[in-house]
Amino acid sequence: MDNTIGAAGGAATGVAATDMAAGDKSRRLKDKIKVLKKLYPHTRSVLLPALYAAQELYGWLGEDALEAVSRLTGVPSAEVKGVVTFYSLYKTRPMGRNVIYLCTNVACFIMGANTLEEFLEKTYGLSHGETTADGRFSLVIMECIGACDKAPAMLVNDDCHFNLTIDNIKAILDNYK
Amino acid sequence: MVKLTINGQEVEAGRDSSILDAAKSVGIIIPTLCHLKGLEPYGGCRMCLVEIERVSRLQTACTTKVNEGMAVFTETEQINKARRAMLEFLLINHPLDCPVCDKAGECLLQDYAARFGGSEGRFAEGKRTHPENVNDPFIVRNMQRCILCARCTRMCGEAQGAYAIAVTGRGAHSFVEPFSGDKYNCEYCGNCLTVCPVGAIMSRLHRHSYRPWYVEKEVETVCGFCGVGCTTHLQMRAATIIRTLPKLGTGVNKGLLCVRGRFGYDYVESEGRLKTPMIRVNGVLEPASWEKALAYITTHLKDIKLKHTSKAIGALASGMCSNEDNYMLQKLIRFVIGSNNIDSTARLYYAPAKAYIEKIFGAAATANAISDIEKSDGIFVAGGDPTAINPVLGVQIRAAWRRGAKVVVSGQPGGLGNFINYDLNSVPRHEETVLNTIVIGLAEMKGYSGKNSYIETKIKALRVPCEPELRATGVLLENMEEAVDDLSGLKNPVVVIGPALLQSGIPSKNLFLVAAIAYLIDARVYLLSRKANYRGLIDMGCVPESIPGGLPVRPGQLRLKNGVAMSVPSEKGMNLFEMIEGACNGSLKALYVMGENPIFNLPDREKTEKAMSSLDLLVVQDIFMTETARHAHVVLPAAAWSEKDGTMTNLGGRIQFLRKGSDVPTGRSEWRVIAEIARALGMSETYADSKEVWEEMTQVSVLHSASEYEDIKKGGLMWPYGSVQFQGGAEDFGVEGLEILPAVHHHSSQCSTEPCKLSLLPERSLFHSGSTTRKSKAILSVSPEPYLAINPIEAGRLGLRNDDTVRVKTAKGSAVVTVKIVIDCPEGTVMLSNTFEKVNFNALTGYSVDPVLGCMVLTDNEVNIEKL
Repeated sequence: MDNTIGAAGGAATGVAATDMAAGDKSRRLKDKIKVLKKLYPHTRSVLLPALYAAQELYGWLGEDALEAVSRLTGVPSAEVKGVVTFYSLYKTRPMGRNVIYLCTNVACFIMGANTLEEFLEKTYGLSHGETTADGRFSLVIMECIGACDKAPAMLVNDDCHFNLTIDNIKAILDNYK
Repeated sequence: MVKLTINGQEVEAGRDSSILDAAKSVGIIIPTLCHLKGLEPYGGCRMCLVEIERVSRLQTACTTKVNEGMAVFTETEQINKARRAMLEFLLINHPLDCPVCDKAGECLLQDYAARFGGSEGRFAEGKRTHPENVNDPFIVRNMQRCILCARCTRMCGEAQGAYAIAVTGRGAHSFVEPFSGDKYNCEYCGNCLTVCPVGAIMSRLHRHSYRPWYVEKEVETVCGFCGVGCTTHLQMRAATIIRTLPKLGTGVNKGLLCVRGRFGYDYVESEGRLKTPMIRVNGVLEPASWEKALAYITTHLKDIKLKHTSKAIGALASGMCSNEDNYMLQKLIRFVIGSNNIDSTARLYYAPAKAYIEKIFGAAATANAISDIEKSDGIFVAGGDPTAINPVLGVQIRAAWRRGAKVVVSGQPGGLGNFINYDLNSVPRHEETVLNTIVIGLAEMKGYSGKNSYIETKIKALRVPCEPELRATGVLLENMEEAVDDLSGLKNPVVVIGPALLQSGIPSKNLFLVAAIAYLIDARVYLLSRKANYRGLIDMGCVPESIPGGLPVRPGQLRLKNGVAMSVPSEKGMNLFEMIEGACNGSLKALYVMGENPIFNLPDREKTEKAMSSLDLLVVQDIFMTETARHAHVVLPAAAWSEKDGTMTNLGGRIQFLRKGSDVPTGRSEWRVIAEIARALGMSETYADSKEVWEEMTQVSVLHSASEYEDIKKGGLMWPYGSVQFQGGAEDFGVEGLEILPAVHHHSSQCSTEPCKLSLLPERSLFHSGSTTRKSKAILSVSPEPYLAINPIEAGRLGLRNDDTVRVKTAKGSAVVTVKIVIDCPEGTVMLSNTFEKVNFNALTGYSVDPVLGCMVLTDNEVNIEKL
């Protein structure tokens, strides 16, 4: 079988994290990835869950987090960055405590997602990619999240909310402090 | 084979070939943007769409395999429409800034838009914008021009194995970026530059200074930076190199280059180049005419020979000069003056290692095609990082790994770090125990073939390391066992040996152990060579012990075709170390140094300086005023690599042709000057060109006797150059300390007690090859300053951070330098390169000569580091 970068996992060189302050996070990430590695045939496949784990530990995926994932999975850092920037559920900058992922794709748009977008702008001063001054909410405008039958829809953190209207969205968001 | 028709023409193609290749084989060219031979088919640009009978939609010719009876059409109205549409799509976001784009004139997108149309877009939306990035020293990224063909990322990953860039983002907002998003901080091979079909990735070196149609002349030549001998093309305008370009798929490098070869050539146009000969008058070097300088040399050589006989005269040959230059120097010293005192810095490692390996295995042992590495199923590396010393050879190891080969590296893996499965990185001085364990393991697994009783007896005499000795190595036993398993199963193995194997510990023991591995698994051996022509100069007889062609020195006469006899002197010649010693004690009076800088390139600088200043005549022929030239009585300007015709022999024994791009500004290349001196001393031959020098050499050298200059010109000649193979080999050889293993220190957490002793080792940097690269502005822009590389653990112990200033002190000297924390630096060591004038490795260390191999062993390299 041919060899692939990252297939066998981080090779020998990943000895020590250079920044000692990040050592703790890096150690905890190492343990998590060790568990994840057992679930997949190739270490390379661990990349996506490893990134979620790093996101949870580091808060968002900055250079130090990506480098740690690269070192621990053996996937080259440039490629890790390519993957992270492809998917919109990875946070490539610091974000608020709660992230609203609002879908504005065709079905949601027809069912009034644009009015929801306006509502968020008016009520919280939020537009795409921004965070409220108090750090409570960040907004990410999404392409389809796969809930067209219950449009318009959004995700808040990991929770799905369907059939949104200007009248019910406020009450939903009030649950997130 | 499969039969199909393309545009009605019958074509036969291999079962696995694509429609694109099948069409090409009969001269039908299908336009492509993302396709590149040597990389996996990608099918991304959709330019190669073709119509296939009974297939309803257009198919990409690059990814569709041929089928029996297939009828393919490549030029129909539907296809033209599709191509136009594809180009229109690509141009939605392309800025069409051709007037200010360096690529204009050799841009595939421009060519196709001109040919197929599609440049008038119907999209009213604005184009995406993305600022041009000019922060990198070498590479300018203009991602507005990018068409996302991914040639660069595939080249970087699949071919180079650097994985430094990737497509980031999504959809129309995808861009190619390095991890930092800014500077590349990569190996800077620049292979992404070769493959970008548009002006998205461009070289910063000739930004806005050049147009493809400025090229007046293009010559195919061989890169002069290291022993791989990559084929490269010089694009010339007047006497200036506009750029060096590899041609994909050609040469031992198959179109890849490294940072030195691609960007480092500007040293030839450095202002520091010597312009005239110089003679020392009243202690000062003053410009002089060629006539005066050569007359000075010949008079003094005659004088010295008369007073002290020819054994007081010697020469140092050059690994950067051609075979012809080196042959002529050898002829002057050996046949004209009558002394065997000729050697070079190949003596430090390359020549002794080659001689030792050939003694064990025969003369053919180290002559192996570099391109075979890629086809190997397993590679064992010891003694240095091939991706830094001989970068393109290192890339071949990575390529082999991608195809499933096992890569086993003893020591720091460096640039092979991503290509190994386990670690054999031992604590310094204990590498020997690891090698010993592997040899014993392999001997058990593979048994003895009985082919070579000398080596088998010695393998049997090895002692099995005991538990504490194994533990002291710092390498897991299971890793050593895995290495034995991997190596023992190989069918087509390769062993790569680097200079670090011989520089410390017991060189003969280390080299013997690696040779034993090669013997047990029946591997081909490659010796890394930092300089381009070390192998060639040995073949040209620039060693005290053998004449051109490698036959040992035996007093007698060699007769040329024209009847002229040349005598081989009987007196045993002095090697490099003996000449230094001889100059100090007065037995050597004159030294001719061609393209070499011993004061800079040898440890124990003080001693070499003393030697050079004790001579009655020191002639230095070089392109720069080097440290050694400053001590010379006569300095002669030389031709740079791009200014001479001739041949070079790469580390695998392939002779290749070096073509000049421009003439030497000072008019005379090395061998012509040396021939003039030789004639003044009684030589009768004259030479019109380098070919005549070569042809004379073939009459002296048994090895080259059947070689034809024209064959070398056409594309290189592989060992043994058509001559009868003289096998030799299977001689007995010496090994020191066969049964001894490195002592185990019980306080192996060495630095728990103050003061901590670290060893200073040479850093063999990817970016620098020594004297020439420090004159390259381009290379200096990426690696401008010396630094002391230190492992993070040692740095922690010493309380050092990046960019701290420290004083490094050894028994031989001290230097002030900044610190760089490098994970790849082994524990217990610090590293310093030998590149920069003020702070260099060789000024801080000493050396001794190994009694068995005659190579250099580092001494006095224990350092104290004091934070300033």
